[in-house]
Amino acid sequence: MKVAFPHMGNAYIPLRALVEYLGVEAVVPERPNRVTLEKGARYAPEFVCLPFKITLGDCMNALDRGADTMAMVCGMWACRFGYYAYVQHLILRDMGYEFESLLIGREDPRLVLDKVRSAVGRGAFRKLAGAAAMFRAKAGAVEELESLARRIRPREEAMGSTDTIMTSYLEKLDRADSLRRIWQLRREQREAITSLPVRESNGMLRVRVVGELYVLLEPSLNFDLVKRLGTHFGVEAQPVLSTYRWLLSPLWLDPLLHLSSSRARRISRTYLPYILGGEEHMTITGTLDSQADGFDGVIHAYPLTCMPENICRTILPSICTARDIPLLNLCFDEHTSTVGTITRLEAFVDMLRSRREQDPSLTRLSPPL
Amino acid sequence: MSPLPVWIVCGGCGTMLQRVSQSVDADAFRDVRGDRGLRIGIPRALMFYRYYPFLKAFLESYGCNVQPSPPTNLEILGEGTDICVDDVCVAVKVLFGHVSQLAHKVDAILIPRLVSVEKRGYDTFTCPKLIAAPDMIRYSFPHLPPPLEFTVDISNAPWWWGCVRLVRRLDLPLRGIARPYMTAVREQERYEGMLRSGLLPSDALKRMYNGNGVPRPAYISEGDVIVAVVGHPYLLGDPIVNKRLIHWLDASGAKVLGSTMLSQEDLEREEPSLPPLSWSYERELLAASSSFMKRKDVDGMIYLTSFGCGPDSLVTEMVRRELKPAGDQVLMEMVLDEHSAESGVRTRAEAFVDMLRHRKKMRSNTGGVG
Ligand code: SF4
Ligand code: SF4
Repeated sequence: MKVAFPHMGNAYIPLRALVEYLGVEAVVPERPNRVTLEKGARYAPEFVCLPFKITLGDCMNALDRGADTMAMVCGMWACRFGYYAYVQHLILRDMGYEFESLLIGREDPRLVLDKVRSAVGRGAFRKLAGAAAMFRAKAGAVEELESLARRIRPREEAMGSTDTIMTSYLEKLDRADSLRRIWQLRREQREAITSLPVRESNGMLRVRVVGELYVLLEPSLNFDLVKRLGTHFGVEAQPVLSTYRWLLSPLWLDPLLHLSSSRARRISRTYLPYILGGEEHMTITGTLDSQADGFDGVIHAYPLTCMPENICRTILPSICTARDIPLLNLCFDEHTSTVGTITRLEAFVDMLRSRREQDPSLTRLSPPL
Repeated sequence: MSPLPVWIVCGGCGTMLQRVSQSVDADAFRDVRGDRGLRIGIPRALMFYRYYPFLKAFLESYGCNVQPSPPTNLEILGEGTDICVDDVCVAVKVLFGHVSQLAHKVDAILIPRLVSVEKRGYDTFTCPKLIAAPDMIRYSFPHLPPPLEFTVDISNAPWWWGCVRLVRRLDLPLRGIARPYMTAVREQERYEGMLRSGLLPSDALKRMYNGNGVPRPAYISEGDVIVAVVGHPYLLGDPIVNKRLIHWLDASGAKVLGSTMLSQEDLEREEPSLPPLSWSYERELLAASSSFMKRKDVDGMIYLTSFGCGPDSLVTEMVRRELKPAGDQVLMEMVLDEHSAESGVRTRAEAFVDMLRHRKKMRSNTGGVG
């Protein structure tokens, strides 16, 4: 059995650990890029949302590399994500690919467990527990690395030094095969990153990025928004979502995540009393909180025709006008150009700068590292 | 009705909780009293085509003055397109246009909120845009008469609960709610009966409120080919949105069946053979497609969607790839948006009917020989 799963940001590191610890081979295709997107878009329905298209391309890459089992979470939500796997697998089969589907969440959990057991062999439960521990440790390490990098990147002296460290540690983490090694790497990476020479950072701009999960977390879709803001514009960008959050919250492995998302639900209830199945609560709450959390503005990134985020898009302007929060909407589709996006980011950052100049009270001390 | 809860218990970290509740547009929760003659506007969009007779009868028995917005015209469509975010479906844009028509003419605007419309073994929903329609409206128009909601969330509360909430919101007496409710249910049944009889939503509404003098539309009558049109009632029923598709089909001599004409039993019958889907209305469309595809007398099917429709983008895939036509029906997808031109729809409709006719002739010829 060779299992493959679609990419999302750095999620492949913990996922690969999970699968390989069970003694099953994992097929991880190359990181998605614009070519993957085009490939997927050719076979996907025309106005389906962007993550569908890129993950379809990603699945094709994985199958071309010899995967024979495609794993994907799915469910019955109000949003399209729950049906991705179902429809994608229909399309892939019609294209002539042959593979097994492992639909986590749609099939009876017992069935999934049976499949796992037959693939793993003896001692499945013990192995599962071990795999879960590896998964969590790697997810935590990746999360820490990413969040440190987000803080340091806009402050770094030598352009790109953070990313060099980050890439090398991501690679090491991906190869790490014991819990002890992961903890050791975690210590090392923390030291390596925090000891980078940094500039004076008071008065640095900070923006919060809200929006749809996949677009927020997959650099190939958002033109590496966070990194670009950090390296080229010297702006600290903090997304409200993280891969860690997405991976761990359905598994009940981190209670803090639950507290924060139920808080978000409660706060956004005034605006959207019913659950829409996407990340709308994080979008609304993230925007509402942005001033108190010391952000200068909000970037709302979402794919074209995304339902929950389009609804937020109609609500956010009134929130932002009432509270004087600068807002930039970035809508992505397969035709969005890099240049256009950068120009808009540039204009937004300039606007934030001039706001601060006009009203010095807006200049806050950046929170300490 | 009191404003939404202000006291929110702190979870995780609750430092900003107090500020949150202040920002809610106070206008949106202004009290309304359902006095005699209170003018309640209902936009002619989305769920209007499903539940208008019910709402009208219910509110009128309470003495309210129910005012639907005028039938869609190009101006309304244009206005909606201007106000609304660009990449939402045309159906929601039309809703925006209708609300802005009503904004200065009525005392309150009623927008149905359909969260779930049936009870099943699993969670069911409608499209997120139907769930959040009142919210989108509330935060998009600066000066709006107080919005009323009619919430349907069958998987959590029965249908009448929505009526009770509406009555409470209007500060009307709850005693004696049974009579208006029963009247409304009867009206709704009458309307649904008309739909079953083959009328499209817009014509059924016309007939209901303008009496039987309204002539029976021509598309019901016989035609040499039968075309089934599957789509949401707000696409099928709004000739400005579908660019008079039904008319063009009819004018080219086809008999038209709409997905609104199928009864609940027809749809239920298809249920076991369908992939699981938690969007109730989409499942209805899927069931309708499957039912039409099984009918030998149907020659072709048009699946009508609006550009940027979330659920339909996946459901059309399922229709295309999962359903196997019993005879040799031809499936055509037609995507509508606010820029669709009537001439384009007309050409496609005519060509489609011609093609079906041709195929039919070929078939009967070869059938005769063989
Ligand atoms: S949240 Fe948006 S992009 Fe994601 S699946 Fe739903 S509609 Fe698509
Ligand atoms: S079902 Fe499609 S057409 Fe209807 S409101 Fe939702 S997105 Fe729009």
